[in-house]
Amino acid sequence: MASATAKMAFTMKVSQLTKHYGQTKAVDGISFTVPHASVFTILGPNGAGKTTTMEMLEGIREPDSGEIEVFGERLTKITRSAKQRIGVLLQEGGFEPYLKVHEVLTMFASFFHRAIPVGDILAAVELTEKSGALVRTLSGGQKQRLAIGAALINDPDLVFLDEPTTGLDPQARLNIWDIVSALQARDKTVILTTHYMEEAEALSDEVCIMDYGSIIAQGSPKSLAEQLGEETLIEFRGLDVSARAWENLQLFCKAARNDQMVITLETDHLTDTMEALFAWSRTHDFKLRDLTVRQPNLEDVFLSLTGRRLRG
Amino acid sequence: MKDILHIARAHITTALRERITLFWFVVFPVFLLTILSLIFGKVGNEGEISFEISLINQEDSASSGFAFSDVIAGAFHEMSTTVDGALEPLFSLHTLDDATDSDQFLESELTALRRGRRAAVLLIPAGLNQAVVANLLQPDASTALADPVRLQLFMSDSNAASTYASQIIQQVLTEIDRRILVEMGRFDDNQAIASETHWIGGEGEETSYVDFVLPGIILMGFFVNGLFGVPGTILFNRDRKVLRRYWVTPLSVARYLVGFGLGHLTLCAVQFVLLYSLGVFVFGAAIRFASPASIGLLILAATTFMAFGFLIASLAKTANGGMATANILNMPMMFLSGLFFPTSGLPVFMMVIVYLNPVSYLLEGLRHSVGVQNSTLMPALTILLVPIGWILLSSLVTSRRLKWDVER
Repeated sequence: MASATAKMAFTMKVSQLTKHYGQTKAVDGISFTVPHASVFTILGPNGAGKTTTMEMLEGIREPDSGEIEVFGERLTKITRSAKQRIGVLLQEGGFEPYLKVHEVLTMFASFFHRAIPVGDILAAVELTEKSGALVRTLSGGQKQRLAIGAALINDPDLVFLDEPTTGLDPQARLNIWDIVSALQARDKTVILTTHYMEEAEALSDEVCIMDYGSIIAQGSPKSLAEQLGEETLIEFRGLDVSARAWENLQLFCKAARNDQMVITLETDHLTDTMEALFAWSRTHDFKLRDLTVRQPNLEDVFLSLTGRRLRG
Repeated sequence: MKDILHIARAHITTALRERITLFWFVVFPVFLLTILSLIFGKVGNEGEISFEISLINQEDSASSGFAFSDVIAGAFHEMSTTVDGALEPLFSLHTLDDATDSDQFLESELTALRRGRRAAVLLIPAGLNQAVVANLLQPDASTALADPVRLQLFMSDSNAASTYASQIIQQVLTEIDRRILVEMGRFDDNQAIASETHWIGGEGEETSYVDFVLPGIILMGFFVNGLFGVPGTILFNRDRKVLRRYWVTPLSVARYLVGFGLGHLTLCAVQFVLLYSLGVFVFGAAIRFASPASIGLLILAATTFMAFGFLIASLAKTANGGMATANILNMPMMFLSGLFFPTSGLPVFMMVIVYLNPVSYLLEGLRHSVGVQNSTLMPALTILLVPIGWILLSSLVTSRRLKWDVER
């Protein structure tokens, strides 16, 4: 079966997936394909429907309608047989606080037909020294690594990582990035959600942006950024800009926005716009602090499509 | 199968490592059994307790011309008298008054002995003095009378207090016997006062307080486990999203339930062994849970209370709500079951609870099955049907209402 998966171009294909909560349509007939051995990231602001989508794909909730094709099998919901080859890191999920780390992993291993030796998983998530510790004594980062260990105990072909680095310090976040990269190197398929745009940009092969229960854009981070065209972005700190200065600023660029005290100008003619900006600065006696010039990234795509930042 | 065993093991391990669970699981029932046994069971250090003894003297020393019977009676009267500054007397003596017929009094005291209200009944029969004289006149023990009038001692072998009292009374009688022989200048191994002991508790009559209360304490342990432990584990694990982690694996709810149930019943078995051992080895309980009926009722009780726990988990939206519901049900169900006091004569609205309460039936059945209650007011079928009814009702509600994941 695993070799059959390797030959397939995709690991999972979702068609017209729909889910309602009462009268609210949380997911509205979405379709997408997750290529084999890729990192597929679902992005979306709060309430976009990505958590419900993930829960349906993980098998926690049943879709109202639609089809999920996974490992070459067409299903209306994720079956127990499919779960044998799936690993899930939930966004929120606890462990029995009075179990020891190795006991948790041994128990999870017993749920699957095949399992990696507990010692190997402990080493992979760097918890060997904490093997005999009670779960309640672990730090946040250690608990998250244990959760990843439990998600990978069955050596899954498809791994769901639902906001794996939220709340972790930078070092712990980088450790988890390494684990994701290692999974990809071993031909595993990863479906990821994250609140960190740089994480999505660094790890993803394919990004799917959701809003109001629908998919509004999909592609590689680079191709999505290219959708914004040949424009260049100029950014500087935007404190105390008078109304008149703001009006004048918009006269010499394609678009301007002031978001969280950072002014961003979009332009197709960088030199002309820069000259005009310096003149504007002198005219309004405005100091251009932290001035940067850059190409659009995934955050800009997200902002332009949803009108909101990912972390609002 | 290994997934089920691991779930069971996780449940047991967690329960034994969590202090609050351990308290309710072990410490509380053990504490309660100890307290109740010491206070009501009258088993403790000598000198700090008093044995209820009946003394019936049918001998007329005036007409017989000897006063051996008075010596015996006097010794027991002396031991039931408080000396200034001393501890409570060893015996609390019940004797015949002038208005009561001797045989009637003996009958009523034997009934009291059977019901655990007396530790011993001592009967000095008419003709004992003559029998003592006859014994003393024999040249040695080998020529003693074949069938003399004997001092009659009635004990209950299903009452731990009676067992203790028996040893003390025998020592007292031996000492009186030795003094009489010495006074008469006899130093051989002859016996002046022949006595006969009747153990009547083993015939299935009423029993000691420890034996009476032990089945109830064991049931109470199962009850608290089921009422608090089951919804606590399920609801806290649901709210803390521990269960959610299971549902993304191939583990099914049914297999989780089997594992959980297995773990719960194992915990109940461990609790039973602990409490029963304490009852037998520390407090001298004599009851045996060896019959298929008593074992079956123990399993039925643990299962009923587990089902009750699931019922609470189904009705509560949160773990804290579940604990509050369990607390509300705990007191009326425990106290209106006959666990600590008889339920007859209660007001009608309380009797309704008694009759709906599965604890009442299980307790009655269990006491009956281990022989601490001769007759049961409830038909045997009711004892089984009411708890089974609760299991079925709880299963139905659980299957329809219990949410295995947090609501959105």
